[in-house]
Amino acid sequence: MALVKAKKNAAPVPAAEAPGADPRAGLSDSDAAVRRQAAHRLAQDPGAVSPLADRLAIETEPGVREAILTALVRIGTGEAVEALLPLLAREDAGLRNAVLESVQQMPGESVAPSVVPLLGHADSDLRIFAVQLVGKLRHPERPAWLAGVLEQDPHVNVCLAAVEALGEIGDPAALPALERLLLRFPEDPMVGFSVDAARRRFRGG
Amino acid sequence: MTAGMNAPPDESSPGLPPADYEMLCDFLRERTGLSFTEAKRYFVDRRVAARMAAVGAATVREYMRLLRFQASGEELQLLVNLMTVNETYFFREKYQFDCLVNSALDEVVRGRPPGARVRIWSAGCSTGEEPYSIAIMLLEHWRRVDEFEIELYASDIDSSVLARAQEGIYEERSLQGLPAHLRAKYFRRVGSDPDRWRIIEELRESIDFSHVNIVDPEQLRAFRGIDVIFCRNLLIYFDDLGRREAASMFYDALAPNGFVCLGHSESMSRISSLFVPRRFPDAILYQKPVQGGLP
Ligand SMILES: C[S@@+](CC[C@H](N)C(=O)[O-])C[C@H]1O[C@@H](n2cnc3c(N)ncnc32)[C@H](O)[C@@H]1O
Repeated sequence: MALVKAKKNAAPVPAAEAPGADPRAGLSDSDAAVRRQAAHRLAQDPGAVSPLADRLAIETEPGVREAILTALVRIGTGEAVEALLPLLAREDAGLRNAVLESVQQMPGESVAPSVVPLLGHADSDLRIFAVQLVGKLRHPERPAWLAGVLEQDPHVNVCLAAVEALGEIGDPAALPALERLLLRFPEDPMVGFSVDAARRRFRGG
Repeated sequence: MTAGMNAPPDESSPGLPPADYEMLCDFLRERTGLSFTEAKRYFVDRRVAARMAAVGAATVREYMRLLRFQASGEELQLLVNLMTVNETYFFREKYQFDCLVNSALDEVVRGRPPGARVRIWSAGCSTGEEPYSIAIMLLEHWRRVDEFEIELYASDIDSSVLARAQEGIYEERSLQGLPAHLRAKYFRRVGSDPDRWRIIEELRESIDFSHVNIVDPEQLRAFRGIDVIFCRNLLIYFDDLGRREAASMFYDALAPNGFVCLGHSESMSRISSLFVPRRFPDAILYQKPVQGGLP
């Protein structure tokens, strides 16, 4: 018969992956598999945020990035969120998106304190990311923060991101702020179009 | 399912206080990956109350101490066994097994010499229908089955279903998807019971069953160089982060270009960016790219 009784662990485990090895040292090992193992183990160690984040900043292997991001999400503290946010300013779109998705999986109480201030950042791209993150927060203040963007943000693209987030939340309490946005950008067809779309969603149509 | 000889808890009892419920569910999620939201209260409350009564724990705190610190881990295992959903049957979502024998394995063995090993793992095998179905599909339908040494692993976190998987005795209900000639070929009646069938020893012996929790990195280290992982209808019980962590474990367990097969309602694209979806004629599988690049 072609089915044979299995023999597990046929492949030798690299020493750096052994249970006794120091996972912090493992983060800079030349073997990507060892770096991933180190990240998995550090997910249980809330004190490991800075070594993980330092490695993430220079790591190029997608599999290792994912292991580090997953570990930081598991740690889930405000410190872990703060360590991730600077990466949103990176050129690398793949990394940016992965960071965005990861922060969205972290607890709202850890995310809000450092993401809400980003709504006032000088860089409008970062403000768009902040709007997207705030839109996914489980927090009672969320609609108020987004309405604040509609009323104050000078950049139309940031406002449009907030319209979209409010549309997804679907709370009609946002309607007055949407109406005022129309007055702020009366000439912009995209604003008219998105506000209409959001209004329709509130009416459930 | 109630606990042993103890009376089931009073249906009208109010259940665990919210803070206790949350503490217990956090603990279970951490240990097993299983995620119980408020909506699962009806499921959790009764089982926990039954176990607390069985061990004589007066408060959830007291019971949690037992779960955490009991040296044997026996109570945790008993509770875990009650908290898993073990629904399964032979040839479930058969198109995925078709995909295995019609497309995926041919790709896996490309470039391998005759006699090379092929490793397939059913992670979350429940009572064994999945790994035995795989074995039968390979023997019946994979043309090149005799050219390779195929190792089949099967594991589950639930010790009671695993024992039943190893015993390999099935009732009509779980055998319905199996054509009669295959039943005749791979099963024997148990005594004179018309409703119970035992899978033949040759197949039972060919599968390596083990008690493995897929969220435990230490246990997962025994799995490396796997060519195909079946993890079907298990991650639906995890939360987003738990799924993402499990995907990461599978990535390490797989050989380069190895495949993951998820249940029909599950999509890896929503779980993790580590894998590349591969659309075969019979099904979609998720492939581990060779390091740093696409397959
Ligand atoms: C619904 S059954 C699916 C069985 C089979 N894969 C199928 O699709 O028919 C899910 C199984 O996953 C197992 N399971 C749940 N969490 C697990 C974990 N962390 N590690 C291993 N198995 C787990 C459960 O015990 C259960 O037997």
